[in-house]
Amino acid sequence: MRFTADRVSGTLFLALGLALYFLIIPNYVESVTDGNISPDMMPNSLSLILALCGALLVFKPTLHSTQTMRSFAITAAYVFILTAGIYAMSLFGFVYVGPAVALAIMLMIGERRPIWLVAGVVAMPALIWFLVVQVLGRALP
Amino acid sequence: MVDLSIILAGFSDAFSLTNLLFVLFGVVLGQFVGAVPGIGPIMAMAIAIPFTFALSPIVAISFLVGVNKGGLVGGAVPAILMNTPGTPDAAATALDGYPLAKQGKPLKATKMALFSSITGDTFSDIVLITVSAPLAVLALKMGPIEIAALMIFTFSVLAGLMGSSLIKGLIAAVLGLLVACIGSDPENFTPRLIFGYWDLFDGLPLPSVAIGVLAISEILHRMSESFGRVRPAIEFVESDDPDQDRVTWAEYWGCRFTMLRGAVIGTILGALPGIGSTAAAFMSYAFAKASSKDPSSFGKGNLHGIAASESANSAVMGANLIPLLTLGIPGSVGAALIVSAFMIHGMQPGPLLFENQGRLVYGLFGAMLMANFLNLWVGQIGLRLWVKVVSAPESIIFSSALLLCFVGVAMATSGLFGVAIMLIFAVLGYLLSSFGYSLVIFIIAFFLGPRFEKSIAQSLALTNGDLTQAYQSPVAVALLILSVVSFFWFLKRNAAVEKEQNS
Repeated sequence: MRFTADRVSGTLFLALGLALYFLIIPNYVESVTDGNISPDMMPNSLSLILALCGALLVFKPTLHSTQTMRSFAITAAYVFILTAGIYAMSLFGFVYVGPAVALAIMLMIGERRPIWLVAGVVAMPALIWFLVVQVLGRALP
Repeated sequence: MVDLSIILAGFSDAFSLTNLLFVLFGVVLGQFVGAVPGIGPIMAMAIAIPFTFALSPIVAISFLVGVNKGGLVGGAVPAILMNTPGTPDAAATALDGYPLAKQGKPLKATKMALFSSITGDTFSDIVLITVSAPLAVLALKMGPIEIAALMIFTFSVLAGLMGSSLIKGLIAAVLGLLVACIGSDPENFTPRLIFGYWDLFDGLPLPSVAIGVLAISEILHRMSESFGRVRPAIEFVESDDPDQDRVTWAEYWGCRFTMLRGAVIGTILGALPGIGSTAAAFMSYAFAKASSKDPSSFGKGNLHGIAASESANSAVMGANLIPLLTLGIPGSVGAALIVSAFMIHGMQPGPLLFENQGRLVYGLFGAMLMANFLNLWVGQIGLRLWVKVVSAPESIIFSSALLLCFVGVAMATSGLFGVAIMLIFAVLGYLLSSFGYSLVIFIIAFFLGPRFEKSIAQSLALTNGDLTQAYQSPVAVALLILSVVSFFWFLKRNAAVEKEQNS
């Protein structure tokens, strides 16, 4: 059996479906005896279909291939910046953190031209602040 | 029966200068925000509603209609130029629009989207104005069994249509439905899969999931591709041939049946609450592809693909107002926002609206027609400008889009919790698309999930727990047979495609 993208994702969905059915749904969905449809009927049915489809995909994969591991690693770095940005926003607010997140993203993409950096790091957050706080009268996160 | 004088008075209210200016402002704003990936007209409408307090009801609602209609046109711009739909409705447009833009015909693609969108929208508005009451009665006759069967049919078509693997399409649909289960169950309202986070009791916030899966995940893909290399968000191939930048009459006329079919599909699905424009766009696309003499050209820059999806998704907007105005049932998020605007201004949508507020309703119809006309002209002038919006370097486009998504989702969900959910779904969307699963099926299933479960619960109640009683509904039986037929048809077709690829 060859190691393909579909076999990897199929195995994950098979495991997820079974975990949902045997572990997660019994613990995180309340049982109710009344009514036409039990709260766990839909998630249970769906988790079994998910597991079945995952198993079918393992045995009958397509020729699909994913991007390189390097690409996944770069995306992980961007996600890390965004996650850190959200956490920092909860502590210091968008006004201080927004420009920093924009700067980090622009530098990672490779932007070095001062005019575009100023536009992205100063002008755009300022425009958002003006639009949201001054024009719309709403609070920034 | 509404008096002719009320109809005329309503139309005269709509065509006043103040109203014209506000509709124009709404259309320009809608096209602009629709063109910026990750924002979209729904968010713009949600933010704008509180600011319509000071306006008269007709001006306020006309303005919101302008934003919504402008957004439908604007949403096609990033879909075509960046393969990043500004709105979920425009996802089908990207299938052929993006390849056409890559061939150096971005303006042709965006103009075809504009013309098809306005054609479908105008068709649907005319249907709304002329036959709204009879169509709403027809829609009302579809009970929960028929609605559940219709949704199963939609899933079977979409799962087969998107991508080469029916199994992967099913997995995407099942995942979307599973995610829709998070929150409270629709019958007993007990917490379900919320893992102690009571913020999730009302379900996952729609803006967080939609923007995370559709916009941020695509931005993550694009940022990982362009890591360390600054380039424009889209690189245009300059062409000396003016025909590459415009849609000729022959090209437009050649798509007339595709647009008409799309407009009819959009109008019918739009009149049924909960189905929505994304499903209409993909269904119209599927029919256009299936009836084409050259189906292999779809997905490679076929104008019929753009015409099919844009005419259908825009036709939904007018038809969505049919159940809203006659029954008080919103058929989509946009219609739900219009309901809230109605209520802010002291109006109760429903059967009595035509009788009590006839002048306002016909004023709204007049504003809708005016918005279509303005959409065409603003689009003709603005498309080049909106193209520039996404022609700036990727660095500023992506960083700005991310900040706008953060702020927009934080406002729409009242806090950073919604932003965190958006990021989780962005990662999920990134992984799903990396492994070849359709995000569109996922998001449609997520949208339809609660209504699907409710329909099944209601069907069980109607049949005393015996779903085999569904045979008493010929419409439901026909739809279920069609679902099975399409399932096996797609299975056979995909097997043939796979065999061809392997050989």
